[in-house]
Amino acid sequence: MRSVDVVIVGASLAAAAAAKRLVDAGLETVIVEKQQLPRHKICSGILSPRGHRFLLENFGPLPRKVLHDPTACRGVTFHFPSMVSMSMDFFGGTTPHLHRKYADHWAIEQSGAEVMDDTSFLAQTQFEDHVVVTARKRGGEAFELKARYLIGADGPVSPVLRSLYPDYHKQIPMFFVGQKFHEIIDCPLDEEYFHFWFHPDLGHYTWSHARDGRQIVGVGYKIGDKFHDRHLHVAKYFEEKHGVRLKPADDDHEGCAENFGPSLINRYVFGKGRVLITGQATGFLNMIGEGMSCALHSGAIAGESVVDAMLRNRPVQEVYRQNIASEVRRTTDQWNPLQIAFARPHEADFPKALAALPMGDRIKVLRDIWSFLKLYKEFKWGRQIAAISMQRLLRGDYSQKNWM
Amino acid sequence: MSLSEHTTCSSLPADPVAADALIGIPRQQTNPSRWQGEQWAEFVRSLREQGIEIREARADTGIYVTDAGGLAYGMPHGVVLARSTEQIAALMKAAQMFAVPVTVRGGGLTTEGESVAFGGILLDMTGMSRVLHVDREALIVRTQAGIFWHLLAEVLRRDGLDYISAPLNLSSSVGGTLGVGGIDVNSSKYGCSADQAISLQVVTPTGEIVECSDDENSELFERIILGYGQFGIITEASLHIRPYTPLRMHYFYYAALKPCVEDLLMLDASQACDYTGILTMMDSAITLLVAFDSDEREAEFMAQVKPKLRGYGELMFALHLAVSFSWRPWKWKEALFLLRRKRELFPDLQPAQHMQDGRMLDRTVVFSRAVWKHWGDRHMVIPDLATSRDKFVQAVERGNAVCRKYFPYYTLYCVGIRLRDDHRAHYELSSIPADAEGWAYGCEFEPMYNGVEYSRDRLQSFKNEIYDVGVELETSYYRFGGMMKGYIRRALGDAVVEKHLQLKRQADPAMILNRDVIF
Ligand SMILES: Cc1cc2nc3c(=O)[nH]c(=O)nc-3n(C[C@H](O)[C@H](O)[C@H](O)COP(=O)(O)OP(=O)(O)OC[C@H]3O[C@@H](n4cnc5c(N)ncnc54)[C@H](O)[C@@H]3O)c2cc1C
Ligand SMILES: Cc1cc2nc3c(=O)[nH]c(=O)nc-3n(C[C@H](O)[C@H](O)[C@H](O)COP(=O)(O)OP(=O)(O)OC[C@H]3O[C@@H](n4cnc5c(N)ncnc54)[C@H](O)[C@@H]3O)c2cc1C
Repeated sequence: MRSVDVVIVGASLAAAAAAKRLVDAGLETVIVEKQQLPRHKICSGILSPRGHRFLLENFGPLPRKVLHDPTACRGVTFHFPSMVSMSMDFFGGTTPHLHRKYADHWAIEQSGAEVMDDTSFLAQTQFEDHVVVTARKRGGEAFELKARYLIGADGPVSPVLRSLYPDYHKQIPMFFVGQKFHEIIDCPLDEEYFHFWFHPDLGHYTWSHARDGRQIVGVGYKIGDKFHDRHLHVAKYFEEKHGVRLKPADDDHEGCAENFGPSLINRYVFGKGRVLITGQATGFLNMIGEGMSCALHSGAIAGESVVDAMLRNRPVQEVYRQNIASEVRRTTDQWNPLQIAFARPHEADFPKALAALPMGDRIKVLRDIWSFLKLYKEFKWGRQIAAISMQRLLRGDYSQKNWM
Repeated sequence: MSLSEHTTCSSLPADPVAADALIGIPRQQTNPSRWQGEQWAEFVRSLREQGIEIREARADTGIYVTDAGGLAYGMPHGVVLARSTEQIAALMKAAQMFAVPVTVRGGGLTTEGESVAFGGILLDMTGMSRVLHVDREALIVRTQAGIFWHLLAEVLRRDGLDYISAPLNLSSSVGGTLGVGGIDVNSSKYGCSADQAISLQVVTPTGEIVECSDDENSELFERIILGYGQFGIITEASLHIRPYTPLRMHYFYYAALKPCVEDLLMLDASQACDYTGILTMMDSAITLLVAFDSDEREAEFMAQVKPKLRGYGELMFALHLAVSFSWRPWKWKEALFLLRRKRELFPDLQPAQHMQDGRMLDRTVVFSRAVWKHWGDRHMVIPDLATSRDKFVQAVERGNAVCRKYFPYYTLYCVGIRLRDDHRAHYELSSIPADAEGWAYGCEFEPMYNGVEYSRDRLQSFKNEIYDVGVELETSYYRFGGMMKGYIRRALGDAVVEKHLQLKRQADPAMILNRDVIF
């Protein structure tokens, strides 16, 4: 059985960041990826300025091919049922519109780690000083790798997480998000912005933006509904209310399951023993679904925690949980109403944009947001969010009690 | 500088995202990719044939995995312990031939990974740490460059002599410091440590052994001083020294930053003190330190300058604090912190051992020990700003606001650096802001962790935010904490960086010596 220092599951951005830290510190690191690289990943690809900095500082200048057209996004525009729209620019200037297929592959290559693609993680067994990872190359036999640590950077439905907590994904609400691509006849939505709708009739997560000459119409809802009906409803709304005229969707539509919620209520999963969970698998997702920057940062923290644990001979979970606290604070702050109102936890200024609206519109917006939030009532997050907001206010930090 | 200028005169590729991405702060890769080890085996064989020892075991290379900053991690393929100038020359010849990167390390006190090897050879200079000759008449010492300053002080003390200025810590080396700057609490009088160098023996990136000074090979000398090890390895140095004197210390306490900083500027301009500096415990409890080399200087200061200072004595300040805390119960946690700090820190400085009749006998070890034990952690995060006199108050206040956002407790350390007009050429690639006249001022911002652990990532964000203040104020970095490659073009301008890049390419064709530090 081959023996390495660290196995990472998933050739994602979180994996690239973790691998970068591990390889730099001279650890033998193998990444196991289910798909063939470069692999497709459904994503809007709007990286926050913080994530952009991270890429430049750690992986070097971005090649053009890791970007879609338009290559940059200036900010986010919120639309409300009362037909008020408000745009917010990112603090740091425009930010990349990443082509995930090439961006992720590039970052993985820059990390210098060894990759086994077309190879699925199947199972893991922990021993006192190592983990045995079982994987299978497509069409091949299952094989084993012995590693000192295993990092699950395998996204929202994380099989690594499931191998630790088989029931976890049943305990949290899972959503479906899907997008279709349309040729544009006429689109008044500013292509420099990512557009998001706070509209309870449209669904839990409704968005649109331009990509490579086409317009994306995206919908998100609780698993169970029909994608095509939902999409049709939204496209019609765009046409009627915003004058967005699009040709029928092309065939290359796509969708996936998302674990939306853990970062709202500070219930992250960081793993057990020698197995760390990182990236979106842990539950990291910023508001408006921006998950790449926290994937990069949490991935780096997982990598550095393994390095620390090895060099200082300390339990890796303890190190990881201490190091990750700041990322938790940052991500959960983005959902914390008190922080949003007073502390600018986002990379764009919502309170300022709101204050710039005429008083009448401001009231409409707040009322619309409230009726949108009611859509989420069934998940019973309200009280939990209130509780953690108070916790943050009084203790200055979030508790680690509910972490797994 | 406009963006178009940036793209035309810089050899950095333009960011394809957009011209206004990451507004004002062009980024560069600061965690370099690991060198992949091409021709390593041949290189090692060639060195072994010449009798040069290379250590490759992980136990040997692992020691050097990070620097004092603890944010950048990198493993060398092998380590060479410096033994002699000739050995280093042979190493560099082979490294040039096989294009193997060489990273030089003295005390490893950098904080941005400059002394971390991302693959290749790590050359540990501490193997060359003998004092070669002390000239008591001319007040010059010749020493090997891997020596730590406090060891040098010990040797000089035997003859009643002392170095002029050195960083306040226990393990920075002479060679590492001459390449970086070196700031002491007497820099407002004497300039930085690098200003004390008279001549140097250097091994060039292509392996020649060259002696250089202002008169001999002066261009090389200019590049080596404050050159961050880009143009050669310092193996020996001749430095100005001075007669040893104990220090007459005085402390003044302030409850706000601005008056304290203004008083520091005033003191330096008056040239009435031999040592000056500011150290904060909190931004409402600030110490201005002044000290003197002689009783006469002290007496003169007490009579003429002291009355102009706005700070309190210790007792008055304690009273002031007591009153101000008494009606602010929500600040009692801070009061407790101050009390604890006083209780723990001061005895730890072991005054009984180095104070006599109000005089400090050994500044080297006193300041240094405190720095490590009470400010440091495994991450020494000390971003800084260097400005002209005029911008200094603003820089300190803005940096302080960033600290407050990130950490409950932190320290600011401010000192002046006297500029030597005859050394302008030495400063070209250094931290000295272009608009500084007479003095440059540095402020260093250092979190106190108080048992809390922070991720590297979080600490890096803090540093970036301090450096961004520098970009906005159009000023420079004191580089106490490192080279900050990502900011160097902003601070110095593309033209200077490009000029030095050209020179570097000539001097180091394979671009192997201390790569990724500046360019
Ligand atoms: C429609 C949509 C739009 C989005 N828009 C944005 C946006 O604009 N900006 C933004 O920042 N974020 C956006 N996100 C979120 C973002 O895509 C994710 O948060 C981010 O990709 C998470 O990265 P990760 O590194 O954690 O894992 P992922 O990128 O999810 O990667 C996980 C990897 O693990 C692999 N894997 C899974 N199972 C196995 C297995 N058994 N064996 C081996 N490998 C396996 C997968 O193939 C995949 O490569 C969007 C998400 C969606 C769905
Ligand atoms: C706790 C602490 C306190 C500090 N206090 C101060 C202070 O009071 N004042 C101050 O100015 N700075 C201070 N610093 C910064 C630090 O002292 C300087 O960075 C220091 O002078 C570096 O010396 P070094 O021997 O550790 O060099 P290193 O960190 O080993 O190297 C510095 C740079 O020079 C290169 N280099 C090293 N040796 C040589 C050589 N012989 N020839 C050519 N290049 C070489 C290295 O490659 C690297 O790029 C402090 C740092 C810490 C962590």
